[in-house]
Amino acid sequence: MGAGTSSTTGPGDSVQGRALWGLRAATVAQALALPLALCLLWEAAGRSGWMPEGILPPPSTVWQAWLAWAFADPGMGLNPYLGTWLPTVGYSASRVAKGFAVAIAIGVPAGILIGWSRMIARSVDPMIQSLRPIPITAWLPFSIAVFGIRDMGAVFLIAIGAFYPIVVNTTAGARDINKNLVRAARMMGASERQLLLRVVLPNALPSIFTGLRLGLGIAWTAVIVAEIVAVKSGLGYVLWDAYYVGRMDVVIADMVSIGIAGFLSDRLLLLVSNRVLHWKQFGAR
Amino acid sequence: MTDRPAIELARIEKVFPGRTPVRAVDGVDLAIAEREFACILGPSGCGKSTLLNLVAGFEAPTGGTLRVAGAPVTAPGPDRGVVFQEPALFPWLSVFDNVVFGPRMQGKPRAETDAAARRYLDLVGLSGFERHLPDQLSGGMKQRVGIARCLVMDPQVLLMDEPFGALDAQTRMQMQELLTHVWDTFKKTVVFITHDIDEAIFLADVVYVMTARPGRIRARIPVELPRPREIDVLTDPTFNKLRAEVLHLIREEASRARALAAGPAPR
Ligand SMILES: Nc1ncnc2c1ncn2[C@@H]1O[C@H](COP(=O)(O)OP(=O)(O)O)[C@@H](O)[C@H]1O
Ligand SMILES: [Mg+2]
Repeated sequence: MGAGTSSTTGPGDSVQGRALWGLRAATVAQALALPLALCLLWEAAGRSGWMPEGILPPPSTVWQAWLAWAFADPGMGLNPYLGTWLPTVGYSASRVAKGFAVAIAIGVPAGILIGWSRMIARSVDPMIQSLRPIPITAWLPFSIAVFGIRDMGAVFLIAIGAFYPIVVNTTAGARDINKNLVRAARMMGASERQLLLRVVLPNALPSIFTGLRLGLGIAWTAVIVAEIVAVKSGLGYVLWDAYYVGRMDVVIADMVSIGIAGFLSDRLLLLVSNRVLHWKQFGAR
Repeated sequence: MTDRPAIELARIEKVFPGRTPVRAVDGVDLAIAEREFACILGPSGCGKSTLLNLVAGFEAPTGGTLRVAGAPVTAPGPDRGVVFQEPALFPWLSVFDNVVFGPRMQGKPRAETDAAARRYLDLVGLSGFERHLPDQLSGGMKQRVGIARCLVMDPQVLLMDEPFGALDAQTRMQMQELLTHVWDTFKKTVVFITHDIDEAIFLADVVYVMTARPGRIRARIPVELPRPREIDVLTDPTFNKLRAEVLHLIREEASRARALAAGPAPR
């Protein structure tokens, strides 16, 4: 029996029995040491005039820019970003949420069916596999043509990007099922539908969560690309707009915001995953 | 016992297709009476699991007829409970939810099945473990869950494929005693597969000895030991006489198989 061992076969770096976000103070300190040192170095380089301010502003300038972006009174001055950080993050996050939800709603059922039925796999899988190599950036013109410069375009791109890892991992999870579990369910009178919902789906969940985490990463990439090109709000829009007007401090503050948003959403997903997959914690196989 | 057998196999044949087709069982005739505890004994690879899977409805025979309670077997169903060698419990469900899985799938009323599930968990000595997950249980406890989830469906027959084969000797003996106890309380037709002679004689009303592959039924040996049986029956003279008889049959069978495998003598 695996009870008592703390190793886990759950998706990614899951950790149990730790503080929220799976981090402890000591771990946090260790994780932050290197980036902090680099920031100090960068700050020093900036102040010594060794690096031109307009191209790579030092962290302190970035921090000031972020403060203004986040908290300043919007009515003031010529800076169009004042006080707009929270709604900007909100636009991007809500697009990610919508596109990701669409990707799950299509990707998980599709993956279960493809993994379960050879007939469905033969008629659907080749199409999915041949569309998969098309990068989301290549979908941009199509997306703009169909949805225009609107929210839907971004949601579409995100959904496309997140769909592939979700469907592929769900398929793998549905295929990888112990034959005797299926036999046991049939022996106990489960219908095909019950078999899919009560046996194949839960059995695929660990693999599904792996796909969700990969998909969420792609979703953040997709939202930035879409907002740079096809939507007039959100972190991607600000990123490109700030670059055009030479506000590299805002550009970097924006990049850091994207990083943090992506990190936090991944941690949230990991938290849900550990909750849903609590039965994996005893780690037999 | 009624005149019609609970399980009836006539000239059953199963060939697995493939590049080199495997004739797993060939010409099996078997009639197991209602409420009989039948043990099927044979060397590994002789087609015991194949036979059980046919009765369970997991596979279809390539020849012959197969009836359970008079009706031809076409698919698996809750009238034939199966206990697998590896427990095959749903790892994401608690012990209790594993046991009520069958009744839930069949849409039986909750109040009734929950009470029944508690009763059977108690019978197999698992009350207090309802909320545990399968991965938290030992091998023997998992098999008890496997037995309870079959009993709760009130099946006509119980099919068991070397259910204690993976357990250590001591646990195995406990499980054998537990099973005879369960069977004494809830008499069902049982088909129990094993390659262990002692286990077969200890549990069975009738031991069916199989030949090496392709498997057939070589002999039918009634076991007339009194019930309830305790572990000390293993030293009973009748037990030892039966044991010698079965052993002799198996030796004979093994040497016959060896002779067949060796083929005709070289020039
Ligand atoms: N699905 C299958 N495909 C091909 N051959 C099989 C299959 N299942 C079992 N066999 C073969 O049939 C024979 C009998 O197997 P089995 O019934 O599992 O034996 P036992 O349970 O007595 O050990 C073995 O030679 C085995 O390799
Ligand atoms: Mg077997």
